[in-house]
Amino acid sequence: MNKFFVTALAISATAMLSAAPAMAQGKTLTISWWGFNGEKLESIVLAPFREQCGCEIVFETGNNGERLNKIQIRNGAGVDVAYFSDSFSQQGIEAGLFQKIDPAKLPNLAGIYDLAKDPQGGYGPAYTIGRVGIVYDTAKVATPITSWEDLWREDLAGSLSLPGITTTAGPMVVMKAGDHAGVDAFADQDSAFAAVEELKPNVVKNYNTGSEMINLFSTGEITAAVAQDFTLGQIQAAVPTVEWAELEEGAIATLNTVNIPTGAAEPELAYEFINFILSPEIQQQLAEQGVDAPVVTSVELTPEQASLWTYGADVIAGLQRIDYAKMNAAKGGWVDRWNEIFGM
Amino acid sequence: MKRFAGWTLASPATLLVVVFLVLPVLATIVTTFTTPGGPFATYAAFFGSGFRRAVLFRTIQVSLAVTVIALVIGFLTAYVVSRAPGWLKSILIIAAVFPLLTGVVVRSFAWLIILGKNGILNSTLINLGLIAEPFQMLYTQGAVIVAMVYLFVPLMILTLVGVLESIPDDLIQASSSLGAKPSATFMQVTLPLAVPGLIVGAVLVFTGSFTSYATPQLLGGEQVMMMGTLMYQQAMVTFDWVAASTIAAVMVVITIAIVAAMNAMARRLNPMTA
Repeated sequence: MNKFFVTALAISATAMLSAAPAMAQGKTLTISWWGFNGEKLESIVLAPFREQCGCEIVFETGNNGERLNKIQIRNGAGVDVAYFSDSFSQQGIEAGLFQKIDPAKLPNLAGIYDLAKDPQGGYGPAYTIGRVGIVYDTAKVATPITSWEDLWREDLAGSLSLPGITTTAGPMVVMKAGDHAGVDAFADQDSAFAAVEELKPNVVKNYNTGSEMINLFSTGEITAAVAQDFTLGQIQAAVPTVEWAELEEGAIATLNTVNIPTGAAEPELAYEFINFILSPEIQQQLAEQGVDAPVVTSVELTPEQASLWTYGADVIAGLQRIDYAKMNAAKGGWVDRWNEIFGM
Repeated sequence: MKRFAGWTLASPATLLVVVFLVLPVLATIVTTFTTPGGPFATYAAFFGSGFRRAVLFRTIQVSLAVTVIALVIGFLTAYVVSRAPGWLKSILIIAAVFPLLTGVVVRSFAWLIILGKNGILNSTLINLGLIAEPFQMLYTQGAVIVAMVYLFVPLMILTLVGVLESIPDDLIQASSSLGAKPSATFMQVTLPLAVPGLIVGAVLVFTGSFTSYATPQLLGGEQVMMMGTLMYQQAMVTFDWVAASTIAAVMVVITIAIVAAMNAMARRLNPMTA
């Protein structure tokens, strides 16, 4: 009887020890992210990470603006890892919501593209890279779109959708309008917005979420849009004739970053998680499953897998970068001027 | 003593309203007066911006248009329903209230399908050979008004059916026995007695339209920005809570003013109080 009891105790103790490293026993990691691709992320990232850390994982989901607002209201507490597109993580940095990152705690940084290692001056790395460019329906737009200048073409009258000024890509339209007018949009706002005004006859409606824009394509309201490339797969599923335009000036790079907020309860666990999602195996799987484009240089994709992605050193070298600190400083005034054009 | 008992019984509810409604609203409004620029700086900024004035004006315009159209349609429908025999009345009321069983977003979305470029209306007109190119009906002020009328007419019908039913038949009969034509009976008896219901309905519809968010967001977008959508943008996107609070304060004041004006008008029109 006694012997049996001891054996049972030993077995259960072994089971408990092997189930999880004692380090993270009973800890909870809180992640703030969009909530897209939930099932794929569960199987590729979360399940193996739970196994590795032995911790619980909980989420806060929503769009960039809403989630950043929540972190700000709680003064940087309540979340351990925060996923944001770079223009929003820049706002978070300026509001003092994120900790500086210690690169020594992220050995996998060594394997990623230089532009993703430290995009925002000592804060979180980028775990995926995307492009803002133009998508258009080749069945309805006779002349191929090959340049940002084509947005102003007369044959696109009443068939274009721009990203709203408050989205990641919105302010980029203003910068491109500056290029169209031959000025720097930050230095000469008046000329840039005059060029935005010239776009108005082509615009049906501007969109604030990717799904809104996909709907505009599938209901035939628009034939072209300024968009981020992660939406391309979904648009093509709805309208197969939509293509990504190869622009001679190049598309604009967007990076999605991961940061650790100042009030994170489990910063060590957060470092472990960020390092985990930057590992070649995970990045390879995420790319193959069509979740996120890879930043790890060693990820190999077939041409078919790569066709939707910002992938490969050449493509990445051809992208234009944006100074978000400058852009966010200008954004407040831009929102009003944009509203005056499209909201009157 | 009796009055005291009434107050005691009402106090928990009153306390709830004060703590969870009045205080938060006051706190929101107070923040707009405590900015570094002085107590009225945020309001000066609001009314100084042509864009914000345009949004405010458009919101009032759309809400009034929706209220008037819903009053006419709702009153006519309610009049028919209230005069119908019992079994038919139930069916008609269920039919009128049916749209309320789905959410605002779903009902607004239905209009996307009706008014779209490839939508039901455009396809029909093209197939009939009436137009060659599809009309741009979505993302216009008209689309927002049509969808909101559709949203609020059921409310109006429900409000008015009760009121019209409570008008005694004796009055109608007395009026015609005294030689009034049906039209005169309607204008001099039915309509004045229905005024309290019309005002309740108008207030409900006006405040509902004035503060709506989902419908203008889905069917208007930036091109038809209204106070609700502008407030959301200021609070959730540009993180300018003070500007958003200012918009909220302006909305509260205007809503109260317009409701007060409607009540004053009602008192003048109602034969019972005038």
